[in-house]
Amino acid sequence: MAKEDELYQAALAKGGASADEVSKFGAGGGNVTKSVGNVVSIAGKFGIRAEEVPALLKLAKAWVNKSVDDLGHKYEQMVPEYQIKEEVMRSVICMFDSGYTLPQGREVINYYFPLQYGYDGLIEMAKKGKDRVAGRADGDGIAGMDRLYFYEAARLVLEGIQAWHLNYAKEAKRLAAAETDPVQKREYEEMAETMTWIAHKQPRTFREALQMIYMIHIGVVNEDAISGMSPGRVGQVLWPWFEQDIEAGRTNEDEVTELLECHRIKMTCIDCFASMGVVGGVLSGNTFNNLSMGGLQRNGQSAANRLEMLILEAGIKCPTPQPTLSVLYDEKLPEEFLLKCIECDKTGTGYPAWMNNRGAMEFMMKQYGAEGMNLEESRAVAIGGCLETSPGSWKELTLNGKQYWIPGGSGTPTSVGVHFIANPKVLELVLFNGFDLRTNKQVVPPHNKKLETYEEMWEVYKHYYEIIVDCLATTNNIQHDIWRKQNMALFNSLLKPDCLDKGQHIGNMGYRYNATFNVESCGQITMVNALAAMKKLVYDDKKYTLDQMRDAIKNNFGFKNAAEIGSFSLAAQEKRDENDAYDEIHSDCLKAPKYGNDDEYADSILREYEEWFCDMCHGAESLFGKPMYSCQISVSTHGAQGAATLATPDGRLSGTTYADGSMSAYPGTDRNGPFALFESATCWDHSQSQNSQMNLKVHPNAVKGVEGAKKLLDLTRAYMRRGGYHIQYNIVDSKVLVEAQANPDEYRDLMVRVAGFTQYWVEIGKPIQDEVISRTEYEGV
Amino acid sequence: MKNNVNHSDCQNFIPIDVAKGYCNMLKANVVIDSPVCPKFAQVAKCKVCSKFGCPDEKGIGQCGGFKDEYWAYGEMKAVNCEMYQTK
Repeated sequence: MAKEDELYQAALAKGGASADEVSKFGAGGGNVTKSVGNVVSIAGKFGIRAEEVPALLKLAKAWVNKSVDDLGHKYEQMVPEYQIKEEVMRSVICMFDSGYTLPQGREVINYYFPLQYGYDGLIEMAKKGKDRVAGRADGDGIAGMDRLYFYEAARLVLEGIQAWHLNYAKEAKRLAAAETDPVQKREYEEMAETMTWIAHKQPRTFREALQMIYMIHIGVVNEDAISGMSPGRVGQVLWPWFEQDIEAGRTNEDEVTELLECHRIKMTCIDCFASMGVVGGVLSGNTFNNLSMGGLQRNGQSAANRLEMLILEAGIKCPTPQPTLSVLYDEKLPEEFLLKCIECDKTGTGYPAWMNNRGAMEFMMKQYGAEGMNLEESRAVAIGGCLETSPGSWKELTLNGKQYWIPGGSGTPTSVGVHFIANPKVLELVLFNGFDLRTNKQVVPPHNKKLETYEEMWEVYKHYYEIIVDCLATTNNIQHDIWRKQNMALFNSLLKPDCLDKGQHIGNMGYRYNATFNVESCGQITMVNALAAMKKLVYDDKKYTLDQMRDAIKNNFGFKNAAEIGSFSLAAQEKRDENDAYDEIHSDCLKAPKYGNDDEYADSILREYEEWFCDMCHGAESLFGKPMYSCQISVSTHGAQGAATLATPDGRLSGTTYADGSMSAYPGTDRNGPFALFESATCWDHSQSQNSQMNLKVHPNAVKGVEGAKKLLDLTRAYMRRGGYHIQYNIVDSKVLVEAQANPDEYRDLMVRVAGFTQYWVEIGKPIQDEVISRTEYEGV
Repeated sequence: MKNNVNHSDCQNFIPIDVAKGYCNMLKANVVIDSPVCPKFAQVAKCKVCSKFGCPDEKGIGQCGGFKDEYWAYGEMKAVNCEMYQTK
C-alpha cells in the first residue's frame, strides 16, 4: 500500500500501531523480508504476488467503516476512559488490542461431531433443529429466535465444507488421470476416495480420521484470524481408529508414524496473517497449535496411550515447530511414557512442555464451577495456544459398535480480554508520575505522591495497574461485542458443545464454558527484581534517594540504548562515554536481591504481587458477564515491551528484553541452582492462575545418556510436586546459538523453545534471540 | 515460450509459496516467474474466461457469469467456478 494512502495513514494514527514499531521479525527462514521481482513483502514477513495487490487493496477499501476494526474503534471511543487506553497502547504498556486482532484461538478445537456423525449427519441435525425452533422463542425473548438463523447458517456452512472436500477429490482425480507412475496414481486415487468419503460420512480408518481432523482444523483457522487453535488430545481422540485398525491389521505402527509426520508438516504450514506487532512482537511467526498428551481419562485413570508414544516418535523423527507438544503431567502417568517425553525433550526440539495436570484441574474447577464444571469434566482439560489451560468435555463416540469417551475443547477463546500488560513499564509510570518519557505523553493521571515508603509506592502501582486493566477491559469488550454481532464464528461454533444442542453460536454463549477472557501480564520477574531493588536501596537501606534512582534510570545508568547498538541482552550493552557517575548505583542495583535464589526478600515481593494480581483480575468482567482471571505468559512480548521500557531499578538497561515467561529468572541472576529457583517459583499457589511459565536452558552434557534422562525427569517431577504449573527445556549449547546468530544460513533447521512455543531460530527477531542466548545455562541437574 | 504467462498459469503447476511451486510434469520445483516450457497448459483463470470483461490497467474487471454482475480480477483461479468458460 502506498505510504500516502488514507488507509495506511489512518492505521498509523491509532495507538495500537505503536507495538509494530518496537517489534522485530527474524531476518531468515521463510520470512519474505524484502520485495523481489513480482513478490511484494508485507511488513518484512509475508509475501504477496504483485499482480494480486490491486485486488487486495480494493477489498480492503470496500470494508472501510464496515469492518470489525472500524466499527469497534468507532464505539470504543465512547468509553469515558478511552483516552487513557489510547496512551496505554501508544506507550506499549499493552501489546495489542484483543477484538481487532485474533478474536479466536488459544483454545482447544473439538473434532467430535464430524468424527461421530459425519457431515451428512450434521446437516440432518441442523435441518431438524430448524424445524424444532422456527418461529419459537421458547421462553427466551432475547436470543430464542436466533436459533433458526444459527441452524440455517450451520447447514450452509456444512454444505460448503462438503463442497470444499469434494473439490480436493476432484483435483486428486484429475492428477490421477494424468499420472503415469502407477504407485503415484494409486495414491491420488486413494486421496480422492478418502476425501469423497469423509465429505459425507464418519471416517472408517485411522488415515481417514486423521485426514478429517486436519481438514476441520484448516476449515476453522480459515474462518477467522486465529492463532493458537490447538488440536488438543489428538492421541486420545483418534485412539478408536488406531486401536481397531491395528487389531484388524489394516495398518501398522510404521505407517501411523509416517502419517503423523505428514501431519506435522501440514500443521507447520499454517500461518497467521496479522499485524507486525502481533505476528512479530507476540507470535514470532508461530501459530501455537499445541497438541496435548497424557492427563487423565474420564474415570480418573491415566490417559496416556500407545498412539501418544507414536506422536512423540513422529516429533523426534520429524522435528518441526507445529504442532508443538505438551504433556499434562500427572503422577498416574506410566514411567515408560514419561521417559519417552524426556527422550523427545533431549533431542533439543523444545517439546514436549510439561504442564501440571492437577493444577490445571484445580483451576478448571475454580474458574468454571459456576458454569457446571465438575471433577470428571475437569479431567478433559487441555492446552490451547502456548500454555493456556482450556476447558473441555467428554463425548461418547461409537465406532463399529464399540463405545469410547473422547475429550475435546468446550470453551470460548482464551487470551482474549486484556492483552499483555508490561509490568516493569507500569512501575516506570509510578516513578515518573504517570508520564511516559519515551513517547512524552501523560499516560495515566498524575498521582502527585512523594512515594515516601515502599508501601505507598506499591499502593500506587496497584492503583495504576487497575486503571489500565479497566480501560483495556471496557474497550476490548466493545471490540469483541462488534465481532460477535458482525463476524461470529459459525464452523467453530457448531463443532463445540453445546452450540448444536442450544441452537446458539459463540456470540450468544452457545459454548458450554464462557468465562475464558483473561488479563495477561509480561515482565513479571523483571518487575519483582525492580521492586526488590527499590525496597532495598531506597527504602530499607536508604543508600539512594528516589530522585537519584530516577536520574539513573533516565540516564540509563550511563549506557547507550539497546536499539543504538542493535543488541538486546544486558551482557552486550555499551557505556555511553567515560562518565562513571552511575557506576556505583548500577552496581548496587545489579547486586540487589533477585528472584530465583530461594531468597525470601525477593520471593515475598513475588508472593504479595501474585496474591493481589490473581484476585484483582477477577474484578474485570468480560462482555459475557464473567470474571476474568490471571494469565502469566510472555510469548515474545518481553522483547517488544522491553524495547519500549527505560532502564529498571534492578539494573536492567533501557530497551533490553525483559526476563521471559513469568517464573523464569532474569538471565544470569539465578545463582543457586535449579532447586533454589523452584523454591522461589512455588512460593505462591499456581492454581490461582490459568498458568505460569518457567523456561530452563540445560547444556546437553547435563542430561546425557539414560542416567541423564532420569535426572531430567526427576527435576521435572520436583517442580511439578512443588506445585509449579509449567516447565520446558532448551537443551542446547549456548555456543551453538551464538554461532547460529552469526551464520543463520547454516542453521536453517535449528529450533529453539522461546516462551511457550518452538520456532525456527532464523525466524525469531534479534531481541528474543539475544534473550535466549543470555539465559542461564545449567550444566548440571 | 509464451508471453504474459508464468508457471502459475499452468495446469501442471502446484503452488508451494509466493515464489515457487512444483511442476507435476517435470516432477521438480520451479520458480513461478521463470520461463514456461512447451508443455504449458493454461489453467482456468478469470482472465481467460469468456464471462470476464472490461479489465482495467490493474487487471480488475467485471464477471458477467452470474445473475448479479460483480468485480473480479484476472489472476483469480477459476478451476471450481461453475460458470467458467474458456474464451
